[in-house]
Amino acid sequence: MKSAPFAMHQVNSQLEILNLLDQYGEDARIIAGGQTLLPVLAMRVASPDHLIDINKVVELKNISLSDGLLQVGAGVRQAELENWSGLHKAQPLLGMMFPWIAHTPIRNRGTVCGSIAHADPSAELVLALAVLEGSVILVSKKKRRIVKAKDFFVGALQTSRQSNELIEAVQFPICNPEAGFGFSEYGYRHGDFAVVAVAAIKQGDSWTIGFGGIDDVAQTYQCVASSLNEVNQFIDDLAAAVEVREDPTATSGLRRHLMRSLGKRACQQAIDFKSDGIR
Amino acid sequence: MKSHLVKINLNGVEREGLCESRTTLLDFIRHDLGATGTHAGCEHGVCGACTVEVDQQIIRSCLMFACQADGSSVNTVEGIAKSGDMSDLQNAFKKHHALQCGFCTSGFLISADDLLKKNPNPTETEVREGLSGNLCRCTGYVGIIEAVLEVASTRARKIGGEHA
Repeated sequence: MKSAPFAMHQVNSQLEILNLLDQYGEDARIIAGGQTLLPVLAMRVASPDHLIDINKVVELKNISLSDGLLQVGAGVRQAELENWSGLHKAQPLLGMMFPWIAHTPIRNRGTVCGSIAHADPSAELVLALAVLEGSVILVSKKKRRIVKAKDFFVGALQTSRQSNELIEAVQFPICNPEAGFGFSEYGYRHGDFAVVAVAAIKQGDSWTIGFGGIDDVAQTYQCVASSLNEVNQFIDDLAAAVEVREDPTATSGLRRHLMRSLGKRACQQAIDFKSDGIR
Repeated sequence: MKSHLVKINLNGVEREGLCESRTTLLDFIRHDLGATGTHAGCEHGVCGACTVEVDQQIIRSCLMFACQADGSSVNTVEGIAKSGDMSDLQNAFKKHHALQCGFCTSGFLISADDLLKKNPNPTETEVREGLSGNLCRCTGYVGIIEAVLEVASTRARKIGGEHA
């Protein structure tokens, strides 16, 4: 369980990162928190020649609110966003999800953008970005582009990032004060990868319901429902109809069951949601 | 290939060593600095045996490279109490049989210490959640949780006594 040798580049500015990405491309990986990358390196699933350590790049450590967007820089740790005073007002769904993400020592070091970059289909932050219809800011030496979540996540652990691009930040839309939110998840152990995770957003009679863990990318669905019964019926129909993956951790039947039971729980939470009542 | 000079403050003492880029903080403190109280368990971030405190934040030392810790302050189980003494938490672990083989214990002590710093009066549920990132494979968790809860209430009584 030891990484193969690599050259470590500990840089101080975004410009240095972009120059190195331009020079090494596929042979380089960005390391921020490293909470996914280090196991991958230790198991030698990947063995890049170069790691670019961005932990000292101050300009990437910002959390900001502007133009209706909560923007989180590449250097922001999950625990920093979790404990940021403005989080529950800006985007309560994220606040509801954080306790489910791994454990304190992992969130202390892991970054928000790192989780998005890894694009695990059962990761909570990946589901959050998908269901909230957020975006990823990608920069290379030549250009800067903003990619919507649905265009960014293209498969399990697959994204549309080019090898010379840095994820500079991710953007979550600030919540509508009238909206209600719900989140529920099942894993085999607290902090483990979700077998199924569900996020529900209610705006009047319009619902957006997102599922993590059921497919190669987080899936979101929309419906109009004026009562809990109606939205529950929508989830029942959905769980019967959609393609659901089957793997050694869970059968598709179990995943369909979890879609229904956790989905209803998340929707009930969204109905009961009080913007000041969430911890 | 030992190309990185890494200087850390380990339990209050300035230490340094040369290591490779790929050397984890865990291997650096154990092999290069000889502080073997921190244990190498799964080495991929699952078991929590290697939990240490870096700049007042608990982290998995197997999931951080030593060269990234250069200039940091690192506290391990060796720094929990003065040499020859045991902390209240260590004494409570002994009293409640919260360890058997002891492999996971250094990680549990660091996590529990951090939990009680942030939340001096946790409920049993909060203790269970706070320690959920640490695995024990022999004694079980009941004694560990009893030990942490007892320390919390003992410390609270002491503080109450001081103000009385």
